[in-house]
Amino acid sequence: MYWNKSCECMPREKLQELQLERLKEMVNRIYHDVPFYRNKFQEAGLVPEDVQELSDLQKLPFTTKVDLRDNYPYGLFAVPLEKIVRIHASSGTTGKPTVVGYTRKDITIWAEIMARSLVAAGADSHSVVQNAYGYGLFTGGLGVHYGAEMLGASIIPISGGNTDKQIMIMKDFGTTVLTCTPSYAIYLGDALKKKGIDPESLKLKVGVFGAEPWSDSMRKEIEKKLKIKAHDIYGLSEIMGPSVAIECEAQNGLHIWEDHFIPEIIDPVTLKVLPYGEQGELVITTITKEGIPLLRYQTHDITSINPEPCGCGRTHLRINRLQGRTDDMLIIRGVNVFPTQIESVLLELGEVEPHYQLIVRREGSLDTLEIKVELSEEMFSDKISNLEKLEKRIALRIHSTIGINAKIALVEPGSLPRAEGGKSQRVLDLRKI
Amino acid sequence: MIRQVSIFMENHEGRLNKMLKILAENNINIRSLNIAETMDYGIIRLILQETEKGIEVLKKNNIRCTLTSVLAAEVPDQPGGLSNLVDALTQAKINIVYAYSFLPKKTENAIIIIRVDDEVQQKAIETIEKISTVNLLDAETLLMK
Repeated sequence: MYWNKSCECMPREKLQELQLERLKEMVNRIYHDVPFYRNKFQEAGLVPEDVQELSDLQKLPFTTKVDLRDNYPYGLFAVPLEKIVRIHASSGTTGKPTVVGYTRKDITIWAEIMARSLVAAGADSHSVVQNAYGYGLFTGGLGVHYGAEMLGASIIPISGGNTDKQIMIMKDFGTTVLTCTPSYAIYLGDALKKKGIDPESLKLKVGVFGAEPWSDSMRKEIEKKLKIKAHDIYGLSEIMGPSVAIECEAQNGLHIWEDHFIPEIIDPVTLKVLPYGEQGELVITTITKEGIPLLRYQTHDITSINPEPCGCGRTHLRINRLQGRTDDMLIIRGVNVFPTQIESVLLELGEVEPHYQLIVRREGSLDTLEIKVELSEEMFSDKISNLEKLEKRIALRIHSTIGINAKIALVEPGSLPRAEGGKSQRVLDLRKI
Repeated sequence: MIRQVSIFMENHEGRLNKMLKILAENNINIRSLNIAETMDYGIIRLILQETEKGIEVLKKNNIRCTLTSVLAAEVPDQPGGLSNLVDALTQAKINIVYAYSFLPKKTENAIIIIRVDDEVQQKAIETIEKISTVNLLDAETLLMK
């Protein structure tokens, strides 16, 4: 099923022609309407006419989150405020938030690609969508909302948190599609179990989860706990919000909507473009956005591009599931470690619920990694020797994956902090450097 | 077969106390207790007078516990009383994972709780039943002792 077949299944040649036409138009627009970009072009000795082919994109300057902050709040907008109909902002962990503006056309395109994404995940106009993303400055809530409305589904704008109410509504309103963060999906699954509600008794069929990186093994856990098909959705407010890319029924990579965005993968250190298949930082150029068009925006998200044709018939490139963020990356004894790697190991062992916490300390001049793992019912044993074996097995697998000897600490079930709606904190870096 | 309540507990001050208080407040008598400890955590093993109720109140208080099936054997409280039992199990090549004593109130004999691996449990039962000086107890009989 498609929402917009002619766009989603456009032959690649035609799609690339469309991209080039839109890229040229976009470059022209930002050169003339955004002083920040005009200066950057002039500094680099470039003019819009230098873009004649798609590969010319590689010559153009990057945009970073710092650029957005330096031009807070409206400095990078390409249209006057009277054309802006919506403003979102993402919480900055340090200092000012990042502000983005949308024109009426931007909002329509966003809804369109969200509708495409929901359909790709298995929703249709009969769906009852329980939207447990937060509504507000965060793009998650309203992003899903407008797309679901365009699709003609019935949207329940419950927003995040309030787990008891979420479960009541899920039961009573006959929710078929759940949208929230993956960690909250697990939390809801646990809450159902605690209440003794069999997920089979619900009408829930599909989950669309995003806003934080999650692993395939975590997907299995969610699918088991909620008895649904769980799809990954990708997005970031700077580019649009959720629905920049979505997993289709193949659940093997996320189609990025290339008629609106051009993806590239770069080496985060050298900033050189990497070939398809290689892992690096995702860079996105928005080619249709009016409010705040961004050229080669560095997302800090780590992934790779899969150019293989997909069985679903969509021709848009797939990005592989996110491997973490360049800024979440822990460097322990010189080794790059992503929390998702640890998570995969724990789940590969088959018996561990994905409740864990990484604690990094510096003892003397040596970094140490401790991994707290909650003991699930399935892995419990009344024999100390079995628990010791389990710890050893985890430590061994961690070592063979990341090359670091970690101390494994089994902790009581339910003792680690849980996410209520928001993102869970899985890493405690206690190093004072 | 006897149902033992097993609890995983981090090795922190006050953890055991909290669990015991919950049982006390709910008027549940502990007939036997054994603690296996490591540096960071321990496993508490309990034989409760009222197993079902015990599990219910522990779960209600967010203490997750699991049931383990163990054996209870009544042996004469005299030199060699336990040795007879262990000797028979050794002859049958059955390994004891752990064992601890149960304090009976109404008999002169000693009672020992034995955990063997699940796959050899039936064989252990048959072996113990053959020893004339040892009396294998079911749950009801044990809790009357």
